[in-house]
Amino acid sequence: MNPIVPHLIVAVLLFAIGMTGALARRNAILTLVGIEIMLNAANLSFVVFWRFGPNPDPQTGLMFALFSIAVAAAEAAVGLALIIVLFRHRRTTSLDAADSMKG
Amino acid sequence: MNFLDLARIASPEIAVVLGALGALAVDLAQRGRGAGSSRTGAIWVGVASCVVAALILVLGGATGAAPGGMLANGPVVGWIKAILALLTAGTLLLSVRGGFTMHVGEFVATVLLGGVGMMLIASSENVLMMFLALELASVSLYILTGFNKRDPQSGEAALKYFLFGGMAGAFLLFGLSLIYGATGAIEFQGIRARLEGQPAHPLLLAGLVMVLVGLGFKVAAAPFHFWAPDAYQGAPTPAAGFIAAGSKVAAFFILAKFTGMALDEVSGRANWGDFASGWAPILALMAAASMLWGNLAALRQRNVKRLLAYSAVAHAGYTVVAIAAGGSEVVPAVGFYAVTYAFTTLGAFGVAGWVEARTGGTDFEHFAGLSRRSPVAALCLGVFLLSLAGIPPLAGFFGKFFLFLVALNGDAGALGLLWLVGLGTATTCVSFYYYLRLLKVVFVDEIDPRLSTEPGDGSGLIELTTILVAAVVVVVAGCAPALLLNPLGLTATVVP
Repeated sequence: MNPIVPHLIVAVLLFAIGMTGALARRNAILTLVGIEIMLNAANLSFVVFWRFGPNPDPQTGLMFALFSIAVAAAEAAVGLALIIVLFRHRRTTSLDAADSMKG
Repeated sequence: MNFLDLARIASPEIAVVLGALGALAVDLAQRGRGAGSSRTGAIWVGVASCVVAALILVLGGATGAAPGGMLANGPVVGWIKAILALLTAGTLLLSVRGGFTMHVGEFVATVLLGGVGMMLIASSENVLMMFLALELASVSLYILTGFNKRDPQSGEAALKYFLFGGMAGAFLLFGLSLIYGATGAIEFQGIRARLEGQPAHPLLLAGLVMVLVGLGFKVAAAPFHFWAPDAYQGAPTPAAGFIAAGSKVAAFFILAKFTGMALDEVSGRANWGDFASGWAPILALMAAASMLWGNLAALRQRNVKRLLAYSAVAHAGYTVVAIAAGGSEVVPAVGFYAVTYAFTTLGAFGVAGWVEARTGGTDFEHFAGLSRRSPVAALCLGVFLLSLAGIPPLAGFFGKFFLFLVALNGDAGALGLLWLVGLGTATTCVSFYYYLRLLKVVFVDEIDPRLSTEPGDGSGLIELTTILVAAVVVVVAGCAPALLLNPLGLTATVVP
């Protein structure tokens, strides 16, 4: 079997797990964790295609994964700061508390 | 390509980043003065850096391309980037009053970094650069949305924007990884070359759908628009204007460029009764949903910022109609529309900020009788709303006209997208209702006596000048569209 396939299945499963977590959880921190898992699934998929793909440009996939790890870290920092803002105003990190705007 | 060449091509971005650092330093020197109109040094440094960047771009000082499509400054891209720099400067001028934060320097620096992200989006021809630039712009915008720390709605809006945006970013990244896996390339031209003459790989189509989810979020096309009303309403008004103006121009431009340049081979068809898989049918469905949902949901809004958000969803729909058609005229038509729309919506948010500073809110009743309180602001709002509705001779009319013309000219004039254009025209008529309802409130309704109509601190002359300039741009671009169309490369051939 092409070695890409089992690795890609893991990446897709990770993405699905992350998305389920991000959508189903009501706690902002766990939603953030779900998003991070989705990003890591994408990183894994980049590395898989780089390692096993018929890839003429060396290091491209690896470079992409490295950059996106840095981006994910920046995103997590901003996300946690925003969760702290929510907590300061509402005394909870539940997304159900963030419902003051409708329509 | 040596480093000096690279520095020359990137000089507009370098100027704006230096402006961000300079703004932080100047604000540090002024920190004893308290916030408000006495502490505007950082804003002027930021505006100056944006003007320098725009001048470099317009005079052609940054023309060229870095290897691998990391930075490609053609003539059209140069114009779009210059306009993005001017929109960034406009955002800063609208926030001169700065009543929503004590941290003027940080605000200015974040706006400028967001502006750099948008400029980099416009000039990227490489999916890695596209992703990084999109994230730079998005992360800056999340921060700007939550900048009013005293207002619970601001933080809430920022968190919602962030969570939706983070998921969209993950979809985009996974989709890009699948496209990379299917083609082995990350430059737009490389992807295009690998796809030439090949049957579309299922992996590629899956990646394509995920990328369109991510970019659909950025342009706020239905059904990925849920963040927009909350973010627009909760964000400080200048920040909301920046999201609505700058980020939209960049996102529309990269959507048109990515589909047209990299994925041209898998466009598919969206003709009525003759669909073929690719990005065209997905974009066509997104356009139809956006035009219907945006215009219908706007009908029942009572808050002007929320109304502008649903109107933005509808306008994303009109723009995506033209992108779905494909072809060489898409980039200029989308560029013209996005640029004129950006000036219109930035000006409209400027008026909303003007009203908010004097009456304390942006609901319809705060706008009642604006024409007696501030005739100039009311007149400008009239220009902006009529342009959004698409009344000639304002810019909005010609923008829509070119978009629909491109949609009809696509596919060798077979009128395959006539169904979308018809839907767009019909929903435009619906949109007259809510734009004109707001104008009635402004020009006909009595001033609510319970509202204080004190001018806020400072005379607001700078904001009013910025709003006036935006209104003049809208009128001039409508009366003489060739002034903007020629640099964008739309030739006379498309106009019958």
